[in-house]
This record gives sequence, structure tokens and C-alpha cells, in this order.
Amino acid sequence: MSPRLLALIPSAVALNLAIGFVVNQLGLPLYLDTVGTVIASALAGPVAGAITGIVSQTVRSLYEGFIWFPFAAVQVLIALLAGFAALRGGFRSVPRSLAWGLVVGALAGALSAVISWFVFKGVTATGVTAVTILLTRLGLTTPQAVTVSSLGTDLLDKTIVFLLAGAVLRALPERVLGRYPWARRALAR
Amino acid sequence: MTPRAGLAARAHPFTLFVVVAGAAALAFIVPAPAGPLALYALTAVLALITGNAGAVARAALVCLPLWVLLALLHGVGGSFDPRSLTVSREGLAAAAAQGARLGAVATASLVLFAAFDPSRFLDAVAERGWSFHAAYLVVATLQAAPRFRRRAAAILEAQRARGLRTGRGVAGRVRALVPLTAPLVLGMLTEADDRAMALEMRGLGARVARTPLAPPPRRAGDRIARWAIGALVVAGIAWRLLA
Repeated sequence: MSPRLLALIPSAVALNLAIGFVVNQLGLPLYLDTVGTVIASALAGPVAGAITGIVSQTVRSLYEGFIWFPFAAVQVLIALLAGFAALRGGFRSVPRSLAWGLVVGALAGALSAVISWFVFKGVTATGVTAVTILLTRLGLTTPQAVTVSSLGTDLLDKTIVFLLAGAVLRALPERVLGRYPWARRALAR
Repeated sequence: MTPRAGLAARAHPFTLFVVVAGAAALAFIVPAPAGPLALYALTAVLALITGNAGAVARAALVCLPLWVLLALLHGVGGSFDPRSLTVSREGLAAAAAQGARLGAVATASLVLFAAFDPSRFLDAVAERGWSFHAAYLVVATLQAAPRFRRRAAAILEAQRARGLRTGRGVAGRVRALVPLTAPLVLGMLTEADDRAMALEMRGLGARVARTPLAPPPRRAGDRIARWAIGALVVAGIAWRLLA
């Protein structure tokens, strides 16, 4: 691993964790804990993003317990898809970021639902589980409710993550983008 | 650090990771609901004995909302009408088992975090000749995380002082994310440049084995604990397959 990558990844992981603080301060009902993962993928490729995702989940597990570690698989999936989006110029404009965010949100939500049901029996973050309980009271079976709540939450969350990552990447100065070959492709420049 | 807390802190860094992995594996191997409940009790007692009462309490706090939600999701049935609510014994047993699994894993991992010493961990990795880069990533992140959090707080304060309004409904707060995140990312990239240069100058790209300054001692107790946990997991799997 090159020193540049080795220096970028811890900062991207710290960004994932710091965004959580910003989201809490703003009182938003979102996670946005994959912004660093998506930006790392867009700047340095999907491998850098996947490592960022795994390290993020490992460090979060050290702080809060390894119960959340299975969600590292979702981080890896998002990193790979963000890398693919970068190859296709997915961060070039707002509509492109929106479209890729929806695609990634749907796939990440599907994987989250599987992990939530098989590992956590449907109980994960408080907000998502509250929606799951609400849906079961409306007559859905528990697996159906877990799927709907995971998909809904991730669609919204990952769409905002991709819109935010796209806006930040487009705002970066040319001299910074020049150091990361993937960034130019991500912005189709 | 109290002398008892030192017991976990003195253990080889890898032993603590094996304990967490073993607890996670056993939580799903032992038959529910009695197995996970007994495992959680055992983990909590071991943590208390080794002077980690704080980790037990923190794990319980992390798990408390999950326990309540598990009981509501699996143990209580019916619609929105309070008269239609029913309580299922099987559901509550399943919720208790899942709650105990989460409790056992959270307690073991928070004991690990309380005893985790990044420099000892790096020395242990270097001594084994394992990937220094992977260990460095975890340790560098642990050091960077509080710094980024402080920076995020400073940016939030500065942007509010410049007139950024962060309280105008959900849409307004989402829009406020860009002026708050962009300086964080720019700072992240500047820091990555500086750090890359420093790492290069310290020979991190060199493909030679590193010499640890003070590797943690390899005690027989650590080896026995690691092998015992491994054997317990294998025996548990074999028992569940054959039973």
C-alpha cells in the first residue's frame, strides 16, 4: 500500500466518524456514516474505499462493541459501487449523483435487511427498528417489515451521501484533484 | 489504572481479540435461550473480576435500547389498539436470547477497548511479522478520530458565527451539510498529504521487516487462554452438529 493511501484512509475513516457528530448536532434522522468511504472510493478507487469501510466498522466496534461489525459488508458493497460510479463519472452532476445514490441505496438496503434479520433478528438502530415495529403493527410480517424499513432508510441515507460527496468533490480545487487519478474520472474531467 | 484492570491490560493484545471473537462465536453456537444468557453472565462476571465494571455498565447502556426494542418486536404482538396487545412467551425468550448475545459481545469488546494500548498492539504485530500497514490503519484512525471530531465542532461553530442557519427544518439542515463537510474534507486531504510525506520519510514504503521497540511478552497464560477459547469454539460447533 502506498504511503499516500496509508495516509488517506485513516482520515477518511475519521471523516465517517466526524460526520456522525455533525449529523447529531444538526438533529438529522440519518447516519451519513459512509461519506468518507464514498469519497475515498471516488478519490483513490474501490479498494481504498473498501479498506476505509472495514476500518471504519472496526474502529466503531472498538468504541461501541463488535455487535455492529457485520455491517462492514454493507460498507464494502457501498465502496465497490462508489468505485464503479466514479469510473462512470457518477459524481459529475447532481442528477448523476442522485441516480447513483438511489441505486446504491437500494442494494445497500437489501444487504442491510439480510444482515438485520439473520444476525440481529430485526433490531438494529433505534430509528429503523421503530419503523420496523410500526410496520409490524400495520400487519406486515417481521421479515417484511425489516426489509421495508432497511430499504427505505438506506435509500434516503445513501442518496444524501452521494449528493453530499458529489457536491464536496466538485468543490475541490484542481490541484487537489490532480493528486488523485480516480477523482478526474469521477467528475468526468 | 487499578491493579485489577491491569489484568486485562497486561494480557497480550491478541489474546483480547481472541476473547472477543470467541465470545461472538459462542454466542451464536450455544443453544438459546439458556446458552446466550449464561454466556452473558459469564462474560460480565469475568469483566467484573478483572476490574472492568465500567465496561460492563457501558455495554449495558449500549444494549439497553436494543433489549427494549427486541422485547417490543418479538415479545409483544397486536395492532395499535392497546386492548389487542398480546405477550408471547416464545417471542420474549427469543428476544432474551438475542439480547444476551448482543450483551456478551458488547461486554467483551468494551473490555478490549478499555485495555487496548495502540503502541503495544503495533509492537505485537511487528514482532509477528504481520502486515504493519493494517495495524497502522487502525491505530492511526484511533488517533485521528478525536482530532476530526474537535475540528468538526470548530467548523460548526465558525460557520454558525458566519451566519449559517442550521435549524430551519430538515431540508435546511441537509443543505447545511455541504458548508460543514467541505472544509472537513479539504482538511482531511491536506492532512493526508502531510502524513504521506512523513510516512515516506520514515521508510514506511520499505519492504523490510520492522524491529519492535518493546514487544509484549509471550506468556504461557496467554497461549493457554487463546488455545482454550479456540478449542471451546470447535467443541461447541462439533456438539451442535452431532447433537
